[in-house]
Amino acid sequence: MFSKVEKYPALTLALIAVSFLIFGYSTSLPKITDFIIFCIFVIGFDLLYGHMGQLSFGHMLYLGAGAYGCGMFAYHVYPDPFLSLLVGVLVGAGLAAILGLVVVKTSHAAFALLNLALNEVGAYLVLSPLHTWTGGEDGLSLFFKSYGFINFSDRTFRFYFCLAALLLVVLLVVRLVRSPYGILLKSIKENETRVKFLGYNTYMYKYVTFIISGAIVGFSGALTSLNLAYCNTSLMAPSRNVEVIFAALMGGAGSVLGAVVGGTAFMTISNYLASYIVRWEMFLGVALLAFAFWFRKGIWGYARKL
Amino acid sequence: MLLSVDNLDVRYGHAQVLHDVSMHLNQGELVCVVGRNGAGKTTLLKTIGGFMKPAAGSVNFQGKRIDGQPLEQVALSGLKYVYQDKRVFGELTVRENIELAAYPSHESLDQAIAKVVAIHPKMQKLLDAKAKGLSGGERQILLIGRALIGDPKLLLIDEPTEGLAAIIIGEIINILAAMKSKITMVVVEQNLATVSRLADRVYVMKEGVFSREITDPEIIANPAAYEDEL
Amino acid sequence: MINFIQSILYGLTIGGILYIISIGLSLTFGAMGIVNFAHGLIYAVGAYALYSVATLLGANFLVGALAAVAVSIPLAYLIERFIIRRLYGQSIDYAIIATYAVLLIGADALKWFFGASPLPISDPVGELWYFGGLQMPAFRVIIIALSVLVFLGLSLFFKKTLVGKIVVAGLQDREAVRSLGIKVERYFAIVFVIGSALAALGGVLYAPLSTLDPYMGFEIIILCFAVVIVGGMGNLRGTAIAAFTLGMVHSLTAAYLVSSAADAMVYVVMAVVLIFRPIDAPA
Repeated sequence: MFSKVEKYPALTLALIAVSFLIFGYSTSLPKITDFIIFCIFVIGFDLLYGHMGQLSFGHMLYLGAGAYGCGMFAYHVYPDPFLSLLVGVLVGAGLAAILGLVVVKTSHAAFALLNLALNEVGAYLVLSPLHTWTGGEDGLSLFFKSYGFINFSDRTFRFYFCLAALLLVVLLVVRLVRSPYGILLKSIKENETRVKFLGYNTYMYKYVTFIISGAIVGFSGALTSLNLAYCNTSLMAPSRNVEVIFAALMGGAGSVLGAVVGGTAFMTISNYLASYIVRWEMFLGVALLAFAFWFRKGIWGYARKL
Repeated sequence: MLLSVDNLDVRYGHAQVLHDVSMHLNQGELVCVVGRNGAGKTTLLKTIGGFMKPAAGSVNFQGKRIDGQPLEQVALSGLKYVYQDKRVFGELTVRENIELAAYPSHESLDQAIAKVVAIHPKMQKLLDAKAKGLSGGERQILLIGRALIGDPKLLLIDEPTEGLAAIIIGEIINILAAMKSKITMVVVEQNLATVSRLADRVYVMKEGVFSREITDPEIIANPAAYEDEL
Repeated sequence: MINFIQSILYGLTIGGILYIISIGLSLTFGAMGIVNFAHGLIYAVGAYALYSVATLLGANFLVGALAAVAVSIPLAYLIERFIIRRLYGQSIDYAIIATYAVLLIGADALKWFFGASPLPISDPVGELWYFGGLQMPAFRVIIIALSVLVFLGLSLFFKKTLVGKIVVAGLQDREAVRSLGIKVERYFAIVFVIGSALAALGGVLYAPLSTLDPYMGFEIIILCFAVVIVGGMGNLRGTAIAAFTLGMVHSLTAAYLVSSAADAMVYVVMAVVLIFRPIDAPA
């Protein structure tokens, strides 16, 4: 039954929209807004991991780049929310375009670790040498202009805006992975040498995907700044990479709906269960082991078969 | 019967490389498998040798089923594979290469070295050289000698003369011919001149199946008769 | 000039420690194709074992060091047996995730037992040695000497012992070793435990230069990955050269640029190396 949902993008979008509306109004809109933004992060990350087959252990860098891009533009240049968002996306994509030149040349272990190392460098830069602009450890408190009902200090507006953003990203990525481009990406994941043999420039495809991923993750970072009205170093913390990896794995890598399910599941656990779980990192570690060894298809991977 | 391969199917991912291949080998035989690149010869040898698991079919060696068993166990049961691309342990000396082969075989190092030197006396002088410095022919001799340690019952030899100079090929053929009386062998070979001098029986492989089995010594001795079937 | 030589010597200290810790990581990487974050846990456990025995129980530093190595061996065995061995031949992503999970669990356990706040360990020698105008804590000199000893010991081990030779051959061609009838994984496991014991020793050596905290394994492991990537995975000599070079980069950056930039500079060097020499773990 669930597998049918994936066949029709409209059904996918409707399912996501209705679920989050119910979820939001039955719990708390600001909390579910966080969930939604995190789901966008997971989708962007999973474009590389699930669809292209490369695990990045440093995508907090792009989340942070988007968050600081948006935040610093609003703080230092002009507090228009849409321009700031756009800058956030561009910074995420631009950084991916620059670093991708090197990163995409590597794969697997080196790919994962190089991303982690670059994330460390980014976190250091933001914290210390750039602190005049980034606010260092304190971060930046943000204010955004409002235009009539377009008011980002209104929690209901933020909820709907972020939900619309998620739907847009889902639609984009669903279309992308179903296009000939997406099919080629899947073939690269399965056997890059063979695709190369057929005469495709696989590097170019991987590079472009890396940039798209950077843009989507940067977008979710920018939305985070907009939503929280601040940005600080926790949005680029390398130690938080495990969160998005766990979410993608738990939801089911390589599926857009899996990413949304995983993102939601992770946020539910960390928001509602974390206070009952005394040893949070131990719990996370055991759960990670369970998914890495026994439930590799993730929640959505099993649910779609129902 | 020493080796019995029955109805083997082998796949790499989605691509099926061997289709329903069967072959049987008696003690003391030297069987050659010939065919073009990509016909599936190496895959067949590697499947028999325990490197790959067949999707269907079975491999029986000395009456025991060995397909699906770990590679180490297949090797210890008396079936040794000689690599195609002259893969010696380059960072180790010739002596150490021999030492590693002797270790699981319960043969003493001296005995093992004697076996390799018996194949070709020039190995004596090379014992302390690093294996990565050996010529192609020397590597091949080391590999064949190494495989003989532990008295295996069956050798699987993959393209022993590939890439070697004509004089060396002659030497390798002489070595294999001298071994014929003592050990059973399956040799994958593209060079039909070599085949015609060594083989008791020839299988022609084409696109993952045996297209012909040649048992008549007169035909085997005359490669022109089956050259165009490759 | 004195300052420069001082920084070089400090770089050698850091390089020596990085080398001692990285060697196990490099071998696991090269031999098994596994990125082992759990290595960072062994390092941290080594330091905490030292703290428990030397500071809490008040025993001698050397006894504490021995305890650290002794604790690391069964722990490494368990990690190898139940985590690493299940990951042979699997996608490297699962190895990264699973061993990271072990590091998380272990760090949390350390936090549980010892608390989250940093714990100091005092310099066990507590003496300064003077060479001309140069002053150098004796303990740092011992670290450099120890790392050289470890290097020589390992070189002998890999050259002279059968286990060492099997591992050298296995690093080059695992399948070919197996085809001789040798269960190569068993020998990799031995080396895994040796590498882990060295990581614990690294923890023991580094603890007095810094402080202990439950997350110390995370910090060191990324630096060590940089060493392994720069030195070449499974390349024993390369690991040594990379460790000392990056140790030097670390110490010179701290001395002449900004001390907080030292780690970041190491990663930049690693990124630059990757530009010119893309590396992949063995499939």
